Amino acid sequence: MRAWKQFPQMFSAHLKMTFREKSVWFWNIFFPVILMTLFTVIFGGNNNEFKANVAVAETQPNEASAQLLAQLEQLPGLKIHGDGPVTEEEGRRLVLDKKVFALIVLPSEDNPAVGLVVHRENERNITAQALSGMLEQFVQQANYAALGAAPVFRLDVETVTSGSDELKFQDFLLTGMIALSVAQSGLFGMVGFVEMRRKGVLRRLRLTPASTAVFGVADLAVRFVLGVVQIVLLTLVGVFAFGARLHIDAASLIVAFFVGVLAFNALGYLFSAVSKSQEAYMGLANIASFLMMFISGVFYPVEALPEWLQPLAKILPLTYFVDGIRDGMVYARGIADASFWIAVAVMLAWGAVAFLIGARLYRAKSIAATR
Amino acid sequence: MPVVEVRRLRKTFGAVTAVADISFAVEPGEVFTIIGPNGAGKTTTLEMIEGLLVPDAGEISFGGLTWEKDGGKIREMIGVQPQTGALFDLLTVEENLRLFASFYRKSRPVREILEMINLQDHRGKRVKVLSGGQRQRLAIGLAMINDPDIIFLDEPTTGLDPQARRNIWDIILKLKEMGKTTILTTHYMEEAEKLSDRVCIVDQGAVIALDAPAALIGRLTKEREIRLNFAEGESAAQQAEELLRRQGNVTRLVREAGQLHVWTERPEAALYGLFGFTQEQGYRVEQLSIREMSLEDVFIAYTGKEWRD
Repeated sequence: MRAWKQFPQMFSAHLKMTFREKSVWFWNIFFPVILMTLFTVIFGGNNNEFKANVAVAETQPNEASAQLLAQLEQLPGLKIHGDGPVTEEEGRRLVLDKKVFALIVLPSEDNPAVGLVVHRENERNITAQALSGMLEQFVQQANYAALGAAPVFRLDVETVTSGSDELKFQDFLLTGMIALSVAQSGLFGMVGFVEMRRKGVLRRLRLTPASTAVFGVADLAVRFVLGVVQIVLLTLVGVFAFGARLHIDAASLIVAFFVGVLAFNALGYLFSAVSKSQEAYMGLANIASFLMMFISGVFYPVEALPEWLQPLAKILPLTYFVDGIRDGMVYARGIADASFWIAVAVMLAWGAVAFLIGARLYRAKSIAATR
Repeated sequence: MPVVEVRRLRKTFGAVTAVADISFAVEPGEVFTIIGPNGAGKTTTLEMIEGLLVPDAGEISFGGLTWEKDGGKIREMIGVQPQTGALFDLLTVEENLRLFASFYRKSRPVREILEMINLQDHRGKRVKVLSGGQRQRLAIGLAMINDPDIIFLDEPTTGLDPQARRNIWDIILKLKEMGKTTILTTHYMEEAEKLSDRVCIVDQGAVIALDAPAALIGRLTKEREIRLNFAEGESAAQQAEELLRRQGNVTRLVREAGQLHVWTERPEAALYGLFGFTQEQGYRVEQLSIREMSLEDVFIAYTGKEWRD
């Protein structure tokens, strides 16, 4: 068809316009890297290593307190404030001033309890829970020893994953971030159309034999190029800076990527159809992106959400895109799996509905009065 | 045979009638200017002819071709510079031209266009950094890229400084030399007078006059306005006023302190008598002007309204 002869020039124009826009680089490449770094540091960084600064108060030195102190001193990662025990008052002040993370009050003969004092801010902190666990274990052992008994049951912890190797948090996060970035570049990427409409560029094209369909497809093709650039750059950063380990299944990755880019660009297209200004568009895209970012299992598994939110997660396209990208990049499964095809179907449905509504709105708004 | 012919065009937007009844025919090779105040319906008329708007009533024909049947063909043979530049800001001048060239079956070499719009030195610059006049020239360049027979320029000089405006006039005159038909809108009367073969004056969505500029002005009365000032001030002006009123060849006369406004169909006779008197009295005429009739007067004569740029 003759209209497709326009494709190469249109593609090249879209490519230049996209990659010449500095904000495209920032939001699609640098911002995800920053976000990934932050999340890895906050949630993922050294998740096997325990580290805390504590003060120890010994009200009345005795056998039990000396034993506990000796054990505490040997714990790796636990740093005891000062040279040794402080008074309880001093210790409490240190906690309040956040000079130390916690105060451990050793047992005395009058009071056999082991005290753990943490700032209320940190009540639910993982470190506080770990500390309390450790102390509890110590108390239990001390109790057994006092009774002269030996424990019968013990706990063995082991983690499993459907990944062919052990899945680390970094791998989980990296793939979540890749899916999120590709999705966002679709959600935000159509802002250019709002601008082109506002400035009359789309009208200008209708004054020529240019095909608007080919023009749109050329833009979509550039979106794919941007997506590939995102995946490659973010993967490199993830693997080399954060030590992520991937098991790529090319076929499922390509299918998930292709369908995902279509679906999220269709959503962006719908937003552009209903937005009169750039601000309106950005508002819509932001709402969509924030909502999905925290509900769709990018940073933590969907199962960690409150029960009532889970059905929502099961509807949102990003949930399925994240799953699809993980299937293709870490679990190395996909096309053989029924759930993978369900994910593809859900994304396609979102994309098709968004595109059809968007196209109808565009036609109704700008072209009804024209030829 | 006219290259563009419109008959009884009408377009309303809700309760507003933008175009009530407009008909005209544009001959090949002419510069045809539609002029009128803001809101007269110039742009709406143009957009209907260009195929952007569907008229509520009326016919548009490009030498027998109509939008309903031959939209594709018409788009290949026209070039349009819309009122808002509508350029790709992040592309360079040359990239814009190449992109638009790819839309058409035939196109004029980009080098030639660059030369015509005098942007050779800026070919590698992004549109974002161009001046208003340069952008407007590029917009006209894009309208010429397919070497169209008919070119529409919608207010190409609005908001430009005098030098930039003159550059655009040069381009329009070049197009005329090349034998292209140009349909132009403007609200600068001076521009319409200088460039056009024929002028179509539009007000409130209807054609109020259509002819060559000189012919339109010629249709007006022969009355001219003379203004003069005396170095001696009010007393001299007062005496001159009395003399002129006695002469009987003056149709109307207004005196504002030391200044006289005199309307007459025979300015040379009126001035002959007046100068004899000032010579005699030794009065000195400080300023003297005889105002030419312009399209502005045509507009005022036809609408009874003041012309505002």
